[in-house]
Amino acid sequence: MSAFIQATNLRKSFGSKLVLDNINFELSAGEPIALIGPNGAGKTTLFSIMCGYLTPDTGDIKLLGHTPGSSALFGRVGALPQDALFDPNFSLLNQLSFYAQLQGMNKARADADAMRVLTLVDLADCAKQKATSLSHGMKKRLSIAQALLGEPELVLLDEPTAGLDPMNALQIRQLIAKMSEQATFVISSHNLFELERLCGTILYLEHGKLVQQRTINTKVSQGFLTLTLEQGESAQVLKELALVSGVHKVDCQQKNEYLIWFDAELAPDTDLAVLQALRSHGWRYKSLQRGQSLEQQLFAVANG
Amino acid sequence: MAAIAPGLGQVRNLWLISRFELNRLFASPRGWFALSAFVIIWYCLLRYPIFAASAQIQDPEVQRILGGMFGMAGMYNILNWPLPELTAYWVMCVVLLPICTLFFAADQTSSDRSRGTLRFLMLRTSRDSLFFGRFLGQMLIQTILMSLSILATLAMAWWRLGTLSAGAIEAALIMVINLMIIIAPYTALMAMCSALVKSSRMAISLAVVGSGVVLGLVGWAAWYLPALRELMAYVPGAQIPQVLSQAGWSTLQYSGLPLAQTAVFLLIGRQIMQGKSL
Repeated sequence: MSAFIQATNLRKSFGSKLVLDNINFELSAGEPIALIGPNGAGKTTLFSIMCGYLTPDTGDIKLLGHTPGSSALFGRVGALPQDALFDPNFSLLNQLSFYAQLQGMNKARADADAMRVLTLVDLADCAKQKATSLSHGMKKRLSIAQALLGEPELVLLDEPTAGLDPMNALQIRQLIAKMSEQATFVISSHNLFELERLCGTILYLEHGKLVQQRTINTKVSQGFLTLTLEQGESAQVLKELALVSGVHKVDCQQKNEYLIWFDAELAPDTDLAVLQALRSHGWRYKSLQRGQSLEQQLFAVANG
Repeated sequence: MAAIAPGLGQVRNLWLISRFELNRLFASPRGWFALSAFVIIWYCLLRYPIFAASAQIQDPEVQRILGGMFGMAGMYNILNWPLPELTAYWVMCVVLLPICTLFFAADQTSSDRSRGTLRFLMLRTSRDSLFFGRFLGQMLIQTILMSLSILATLAMAWWRLGTLSAGAIEAALIMVINLMIIIAPYTALMAMCSALVKSSRMAISLAVVGSGVVLGLVGWAAWYLPALRELMAYVPGAQIPQVLSQAGWSTLQYSGLPLAQTAVFLLIGRQIMQGKSL
């Protein structure tokens, strides 16, 4: 059986600038997939190729066994393209219903499905309005709504929470978490915090190359604790935590945040020992998380 | 969801897209504004130039003078249409509609490309069904508007005569078919230009400047190689003097050239649409 998404020797240049350089990966259906990378890494270009908006110079990519843009994918792949806007001349319902009809639904079913997706993104009250009357966050939610029309098997979201306030971002994360049981999501974002909570697999792009493809590995995480304190003298915290039984090493990652290495097999209760040490020194903590954050994992691998 | 064969689905989408273009005219404030402008312009055209011209054409002396003038230009049959109102309408439309089409049909895909709306559409339909659907939609809109304007012209003649002959209605039908064929290459030209650029203004500029450059190049080349002057017989609108020289169904004998031009522009436009990044 072919992979859900498969890229082979994918290359894309704009003029003399090589944007994607020999990208190869295979992804399976299931948990959401994160597409991560700094600005200019080639995420949006890869996204555009997956959506069929751009064609690669060389190489090949298949979604659900078909080339992007193929009519076999219409209605099976939904996408939130970056910076795409609705037509300002028609109501939201009118346009979503039209899109649903293009996916093969009849008018009555298309109207019902348009209302369903508008309800999903909490915009049902705005169905008769035009896109120009919506705020930035509402427009983003509307664009996500069109990606969910019908029953897509794969949903590609390019920066779904970029530029949104925390409340809107949270709503969108909750929606993706809820919908990810019905479809496989590929999410491009800079927000590692967000991707860590949503995704099971990561594609890390840098300078047009695929630097890592990995699952968020719990085994890797087992020997780490990430501790965030409310306050505390860094040097003293480092010194005291290093003395805790089972701890190999402690590092201050950023202000009041510490990464603790310990032996997960020989000292599985190190987290309790750390909490006792905090209590004995009167240090209050904000969070104690088993494992490394996604940022720490990526950074550790990128630095060998 | 009922499965539709991909080919049939794209034909269905082509029709859906062209119908949605009708909504753009009849079910959006921008369309209503355009319709209002259309009604006002046609009221002015009917009330003043067409009404006045048709009154003049009825005068036998004027008919004799005009017959001589048009005859010198080879348009012997121009006064043979059954109603003077239709004659005035016909001459005005044949001359003005191609120019109006350049403006009216300029925004087939350009602003959707600039806004990113095409990206939403391309997830659901093929580039072909979008390109040809928009073209067909523009043709439908213009046909509806032309039909309305010719109905208004017939109404004006009926108001004057108190009756309308079957010949007049037949002539009106012939005119609408002719006008559709005359504007088809211009609509296809704008579909092609619209596929290249990101605004209707740019599409109009491209069409006007491009046509000027092509005509200039042909003229310049013909200066050195006179045989190339024959190429002027193939530019859009080249058949219009011949169409004006006829009346009735015989006007349709010159339809081959504009239909061929339409096919060529659409094929080039389709290639552009297929290769264009979104």
